[in-house]
Amino acid sequence: MSSSPDRLLLELRSVRVPGRNAPRLDDVSLQLRPGERVALVGPSGAGKSTLLAVANGLIRPVAGEVLWNGAAPARSRRRRRLQQALIGTLWQDLRLIEELTVQQNLNAARLARWGWPRALLNLMLPVETTANAEVLARVDLSADLLAQPVTALSGGQRQRLALARLLRQDPLLLLADEPLAHLDPRLARDLLDLLLKQASGRRALLLSLHRPDLLAGFDRVVALRQGRVVLDAAPSALAGHQLAALYRSEA
Amino acid sequence: MTATSAWSWRSLRLAPPLLPLLPALAWLPVLLVLPGLSHGGGWDLIGQFAWSAFNPSLDPLVLGSVLSGLGVTVGIALLGWALSLALGLLGGVLSSRTVWRTAIGSALPAELIRRLLAVPRAMHELLWGLLLLQLLGLQPVVAVLAITIPYAALVARVVSDLLDALPTQGLEALRLGGAPAVPALLTALGPALQPGVISYGGYRLECALRSATLLGVFGLGGLGTDLRLTLQSLQFSELWSGLWVLLLVMLALEALLRALRKRWAMPARFGLTRRSVGRGGREVALGLVLLLPLLVLVAAALGVSPLQLGQLQPLPPWTADWPAVAALPWPSLIGSTLGLTLLAAALAVGSAPLLLLLLAPWRWGRVLIQAVWALGRLWPPPLTALLLLFVLQPGVLTAALALAFHNLGILGRLLLEAEESAPMQAEEALAAAGTGPRLALLYGRFSALARSYLAYGAYRADVILRETVVVGLVGAAGLGSLLLEALSSFAIDQLVALVGVYVLLTLMGEDLSDRLRRRLLAA
Repeated sequence: MSSSPDRLLLELRSVRVPGRNAPRLDDVSLQLRPGERVALVGPSGAGKSTLLAVANGLIRPVAGEVLWNGAAPARSRRRRRLQQALIGTLWQDLRLIEELTVQQNLNAARLARWGWPRALLNLMLPVETTANAEVLARVDLSADLLAQPVTALSGGQRQRLALARLLRQDPLLLLADEPLAHLDPRLARDLLDLLLKQASGRRALLLSLHRPDLLAGFDRVVALRQGRVVLDAAPSALAGHQLAALYRSEA
Repeated sequence: MTATSAWSWRSLRLAPPLLPLLPALAWLPVLLVLPGLSHGGGWDLIGQFAWSAFNPSLDPLVLGSVLSGLGVTVGIALLGWALSLALGLLGGVLSSRTVWRTAIGSALPAELIRRLLAVPRAMHELLWGLLLLQLLGLQPVVAVLAITIPYAALVARVVSDLLDALPTQGLEALRLGGAPAVPALLTALGPALQPGVISYGGYRLECALRSATLLGVFGLGGLGTDLRLTLQSLQFSELWSGLWVLLLVMLALEALLRALRKRWAMPARFGLTRRSVGRGGREVALGLVLLLPLLVLVAAALGVSPLQLGQLQPLPPWTADWPAVAALPWPSLIGSTLGLTLLAAALAVGSAPLLLLLLAPWRWGRVLIQAVWALGRLWPPPLTALLLLFVLQPGVLTAALALAFHNLGILGRLLLEAEESAPMQAEEALAAAGTGPRLALLYGRFSALARSYLAYGAYRADVILRETVVVGLVGAAGLGSLLLEALSSFAIDQLVALVGVYVLLTLMGEDLSDRLRRRLLAA
């Protein structure tokens, strides 16, 4: 399970993404090693979401390189999909499939690795219940929910389900775009702790955050401003006024 | 660790995305039976037909006849459509519960008028056309009326349903404030009704063009007549000249209506989002004002006049032999009509999502299915049936295939439109996690679309039941075949009985499809 410490799960080299007026990302470089937990901070419009979209392959930069596990985007579609399967995203709007059950949503995270027969079977019968119950337990949800439709869950349960689905995908790189934005403080703290706990060993976490008070558990803080990296340091090295300055929007 | 728990058949439950695909299972028995039905004689004819698609006749004489036929077909469609809209709006207001309750405090007249209007609606325009042909002889007004009568009843139903589904608080407030019934109704419900009516009205124009072509196939004039004659005389190049022109006109009309729907922000026919009141009321009114003189011109050019209604043909002597009518094989006639309906509906409803799923992620696949569906829509089912008879034996299956192809074209386009406007987020998330495009489509947008698509499919099955008469000429295909026979042999007693049974069946089918649709949409 251990990977060499110098191997990079994610590497951005001088990435540039154009925007309408100013570039959304400009000459951004970033490295993420196994076991690292990195918080992405900055005022809104600084490019946090764009950087995460580049990191999960949704946006292709016009200049620069993105490497996952040391490899550029694969040419063959099949290998590209397997590459994507190792990148997991926790979406701000969760993106659960509302018409399906908890079980089917969890299994949907395995579709990249499954063939058609099992993908179809999942829409008819309970498939891989044990594995699903296990990920539910890891986010403190009861296995009784498996057969429930997603629409029957509460807001907090839905958050956890989205995280459980991410774990079910079993990615190496965990990405999350402001996952705590709409949560009350207690729920936010719980979810963040769960996320931080998952990202250890061979996994790494890159998470964008708008609350400076929650930076404690991270190994590094990367700050963006106007599409550029302006700071990359351990949270302990940051002084209070530095943080406040990062969140202040541009005059 | 065992990855899966014990399965039992009791835990089998089909998730929404599978439901639209389920009817496609009807292909399995069809494919098993098909080889036995083929007689193999006409494959070279099918080959010639397909080859002629790329080789249409450009003879000025042929093109001239195609264009004049097209003029008649479009004229009939326009007149029938406009009349049916005007009458349908009136009928819709008269059969609205809200309107009667506001006017006289009781919805009873609405219920009565609703029941009455169900009868003209239950008969397909072809049936009306052939009956009116007996009464009035071959005149352009026959085709126009044949479209107007059932369409007006359909529009009336849709309008009254729209009216009764509108919230009535505004209306009640106006009435409490002392406003008289008519102005209050116009103010409170008129603007809210407009987008739905215009969107549906545009759709009816597309239908009218298809119906006018179909009526032509049965000899009521226009391009349809040319199509059938060229097909039966195996002049495939000339046939394709007509088909290509018709295809162009239909696609242009669809594009125009789509653009107008977007411009006026009208709701799609089955969308996931309902839009609010449309813009561009002035443009709509202007359009209507311009339409009137156009309609008068078209009527003059076609020689359609209300005076023709007075010129009744002498009817053949009425000879009723009721015991003979009662001795008809009713159970098997009804059974094969229902079987034909269900089979055609299953093939059409199931094939559209299946094809979309298999081909759509591939860019050219999308273009291909759109082309095939456009052909299916434009192509009158009796012509498909005649074409299929080159290689298949007559019967229910051949008729079902012809009907299915036509309805696949209609359902497929709706599905594609809905698919393009459905939210993409869940599917994007699946793709970002490495899911292939087909599985992402199945789990993503198919989940969201399943119920509304099936609800539309239930409505379509009801339309198909009415349409079974148009493939009656294939023979041995239920009530429709016998009906056409009775018409051509002037067996009026049989005709009356058959039409009666057909209407009853359609009314029951409509009720059943309504219930199914409500259940699907409520869940």
